[in-house]
Amino acid sequence: MLVFISLFFLFPGIKAQTTYDSLNVKLPKHYFNTVIVLDAYRKPERNFKDTSDALSRRLKSYGIKQFSFSFYTPLYTSDKTTPDGTIRNTHLLLTANYLSLRPVFGGLTEHNLVKFGVGMRYVYNTGKKGVWFVDLSPFVTRDATYPSSRPYYRMASTIVYSHNVSDKFNWRVGATKSFMWGNRFYLPFLGLRIGRLDKVHISIQFPRSASLNIPMGSMLMFSVYSRPQGGMFNFSNADSLYFMRSTKTFHFTRFEVNSGFRLDVRLGSHFNFYVASGFSTRNNVMFYSDNANKRRTGSYNKYFYQKNIAPTLYFNFGVVLKFGKTRAYYNNKNIYDATDLNNTVNPNSNGNVQIPLTPKKKKSDLNLKSVEDLVDYNDF
Amino acid sequence: MKFLLKIYWMIFKMKLVLRIFIIFLVFLKGQPVFAQNGRDKVEALRIEYINKSVELTPPEAEKFWPVYNEYNDKIRAIRKNLRQSYRNRSENLSDKEAEQLYTLFLQTKQVEADIHKQYNERLKTIIGAKKMVKLHVAEEEFRIKVMKSIKGEND
Repeated sequence: MLVFISLFFLFPGIKAQTTYDSLNVKLPKHYFNTVIVLDAYRKPERNFKDTSDALSRRLKSYGIKQFSFSFYTPLYTSDKTTPDGTIRNTHLLLTANYLSLRPVFGGLTEHNLVKFGVGMRYVYNTGKKGVWFVDLSPFVTRDATYPSSRPYYRMASTIVYSHNVSDKFNWRVGATKSFMWGNRFYLPFLGLRIGRLDKVHISIQFPRSASLNIPMGSMLMFSVYSRPQGGMFNFSNADSLYFMRSTKTFHFTRFEVNSGFRLDVRLGSHFNFYVASGFSTRNNVMFYSDNANKRRTGSYNKYFYQKNIAPTLYFNFGVVLKFGKTRAYYNNKNIYDATDLNNTVNPNSNGNVQIPLTPKKKKSDLNLKSVEDLVDYNDF
Repeated sequence: MKFLLKIYWMIFKMKLVLRIFIIFLVFLKGQPVFAQNGRDKVEALRIEYINKSVELTPPEAEKFWPVYNEYNDKIRAIRKNLRQSYRNRSENLSDKEAEQLYTLFLQTKQVEADIHKQYNERLKTIIGAKKMVKLHVAEEEFRIKVMKSIKGEND
């Protein structure tokens, strides 16, 4: 022991041997970027065809103006290498979203229905075939036009196990508590994907979406899709739509199934935008009184107004901002899958901006600055 | 008349939004933060080239890419660290500063060699020696392609 200690002091070089850690080089901590999505959605006004009831005559028509802001940022990432060389990782993300919905009823003054939530996401990549995903999104809804209306606190959640049979085939199974279909529903989550996420692929994610995605170079992604859109909001009874005038608030719910195309344009590493349009079908509006549904823990079933509106066009435009640097995850199918899960469950799809698409080979793209990490001075 | 005015107003608004959007795009294109990242593109091409050349089986690919990415992250980080230290050197370099830079150079090369060895061993247990040779060849071929491309001898 004494000999060892003396050697240690006699040869300080042993102590000073340089390692990767001693260089104190900073590596990005996370696999996920911080992403902000700004989304605008419009549906033009349509008159109610069936005006046999008094409320329809009063409301006259229905359209939608919607703006939303959603955000997620990684809080914690941990990597673990198993003895067989597999890298497992755990990710914790903070999410936030704000949505302003202005249902346009021709016979009423405009209401600004606001939804705001902050949540957490947990992703566990087993390093083999599976990825676990848990999302908890508590939120509050209120009619911002009438401050006297009551806010309502709700919780949406999702748990999914995603299994990557290969990079070209994936299935998912789980459960979700969602308000997207215009009510509080506890639904199974069932998903299937055929094709690589960075190539042409078909994805069916019940109850979220079904899409055919076609990448066109590294900058464009064209999709044909169908997805439900909706929610459950608090609506002030200032217009006395509900017969009990003492009731200040009731629940306004809406859903529609949007089928159309979407074009995602990746302008750079940090900025993307998308445009989407198509037909909005199964347009449904319902008003539920709070009193009649107070004791219900499942879906609401006592409504005082319900109307289906004829199909219409819709327009959607969004901007996606991506911040920060991430660890490399090229061809890491589980991280691609985790990114896709995160995107599928997000209220506003960001077009999987984190999954790199193969660029077209252009001579002009290559310059020394682009490859300085790849080359050594001996190459010159 | 009222209807026509409404349509005119709608067209005006649409044009305005379109113009603002175009100005926004032009502005963004001029900003370095929004410019297309050439390095990411080259990296994606390189990974694609290796993927095609090494012919990994799905179980191999599952384990290989996370380790290979980690290896690349580390190599890139230490090279960047060295490059930045050299770029940030003062014009009138003192002996002490020069000594520090020189030591950093040697240390970086040593650590780079250590990382190469350590990760090549890890990768070899995943894909075997034959495919490791294919990997080295693919990396070298891609580097030559890039160098030729920069020199204007693109094939």
